[in-house]
Amino acid sequence: MPLLSQFDLSGKVAVLYSAGGDEAPFLASVLAEAGASVFSINRRPEALEAIAGNLPDSAGHNGARHGGIAMPLDSPAAVSDVMADFDRSYDRVDILVSDTRGMFAKPLLEIASSEWDEVQARNLKAAFLLCKEMGARMVAQRYGRIVNIISGLAERGMVNGSAFSVSQAGVLALTRSLAVELGPHNIRVNAIGTGWTTAEDIPLEVQREEQLVRYIPLRQKGHPRDIGPLLVYLCSEACDYTTGQPIYVDGGLNAHP
Amino acid sequence: MLERLSLDGLVVIVTGGGTGLGLEMVRHLARAGANLVIAGRRPGPIEDAASEVKTVGPDAIAVPTDVGDSAQANALLEAALGHFGKVDVLINNAALVSDSLPTPIWDISDEDWQSALNVNLSGAFFCSRAASRPMVDQGKGKIINVASGFGLRGGRDIYMYCCTKGGIIQLTRVLSFSLARYGITANSIVPGFIPTVGTDTEMRESLPRSGAYLPTGKLGQPEDIGPVAVFLSSSASDYMTGENFTLDGGGLAGGLAPTGYAPLVPLEP
Repeated sequence: MPLLSQFDLSGKVAVLYSAGGDEAPFLASVLAEAGASVFSINRRPEALEAIAGNLPDSAGHNGARHGGIAMPLDSPAAVSDVMADFDRSYDRVDILVSDTRGMFAKPLLEIASSEWDEVQARNLKAAFLLCKEMGARMVAQRYGRIVNIISGLAERGMVNGSAFSVSQAGVLALTRSLAVELGPHNIRVNAIGTGWTTAEDIPLEVQREEQLVRYIPLRQKGHPRDIGPLLVYLCSEACDYTTGQPIYVDGGLNAHP
Repeated sequence: MLERLSLDGLVVIVTGGGTGLGLEMVRHLARAGANLVIAGRRPGPIEDAASEVKTVGPDAIAVPTDVGDSAQANALLEAALGHFGKVDVLINNAALVSDSLPTPIWDISDEDWQSALNVNLSGAFFCSRAASRPMVDQGKGKIINVASGFGLRGGRDIYMYCCTKGGIIQLTRVLSFSLARYGITANSIVPGFIPTVGTDTEMRESLPRSGAYLPTGKLGQPEDIGPVAVFLSSSASDYMTGENFTLDGGGLAGGLAPTGYAPLVPLEP
């Protein structure tokens, strides 16, 4: 089966942070399929186990070595601990993928200040802290690829979505600014924007019983498989001239009036 | 998951496929396994491109076409269907690059304006219209329109190119929303400054300076567009429609100040 050599991450070290949801195992798996070593960061140990269960045995495939740590990325101290753990196994980082879509939806009048802070911490501040740590290493080695995975709510509003949408718009703005700031260091920073997604395989006829699904132009929810190959391209050396861009894979929602 | 990036057995039409970005897309698509229908106004370059594809492996035909003439756009689709029996992907790439040369508005003739609209915008509409029926009958298809960063931002004295490329981006959105129910997707590739053989000498001379104002610090190369064309032609992009895929060295990400402008402002007490 002919595949372009550009879609290859052999020998690259990727860090994958997930702020929530159950899509990380698929994202880790496609990075590994392309040949990268994957180090996963997740708040919940059980989520980390799910990722590990979806990867080929560590030290097996292509000489890639996979690892990970379960820790909330809520402070610079926590990030230091994560980096110390990372540094014990890896001597460089080529790729940072942050899935910042830790979902939260609540009426504005009921959102506690602490809840607002927590949403921004998990989604936006964690992305900032990781970009700072990994960005320093990438600047030193004059190479890096950063991909932030966000929701299309970065650009649209939703009832009960204020806290979440703000966090997504923040990550998009971070993406654009870092593309400009880190571009001269041979670092590319892009975002993948998703619409309504599920990591489950739900038959189309069942999905379409939902009004929400009938509203999507392609009339089905997205699956993490739908962004896997694109993620690999954006993490590759071939992605040299695209930077600062959100690429939306959302079943056509952005073209919707 | 990555096997979805193969184009094995697919039939892809590329207009303006004999030179520049079109030729680079043709080369990458062929390497990924696609059969090519290569359209262009001049027979020489598209015949050379078709020969090159056949040496890589897949089949290819060259169809001399002026996409601004709807009868020729229809004939292009008939030629593709006649030879291959199907069309999986249409890439509307043909454009008059000379229209990106800055010209004061009072020096633009009616003919200049109309011919640019005709090739750059009507051509994409005519080819999309001709391709839509067979794609609807197949229950699937992908339309890829090559727009430009000038379709999203203004360019000084660049009237035709900006207006037609902006129109291309809207054409993509309308196609995506209208044809989604038939299994057809439509997306735009939005290149920034990527000098090609079609780039005017005067423009080419100004481009190195433009590179200094890009976050990547350099201009794009025609081959940068190849993997993106392959991705958008492949089943790996099935859930993506109505979108822009931008390759512009980060130009659109900045823009409120020159790249390199780096103020330091402390927090107020």
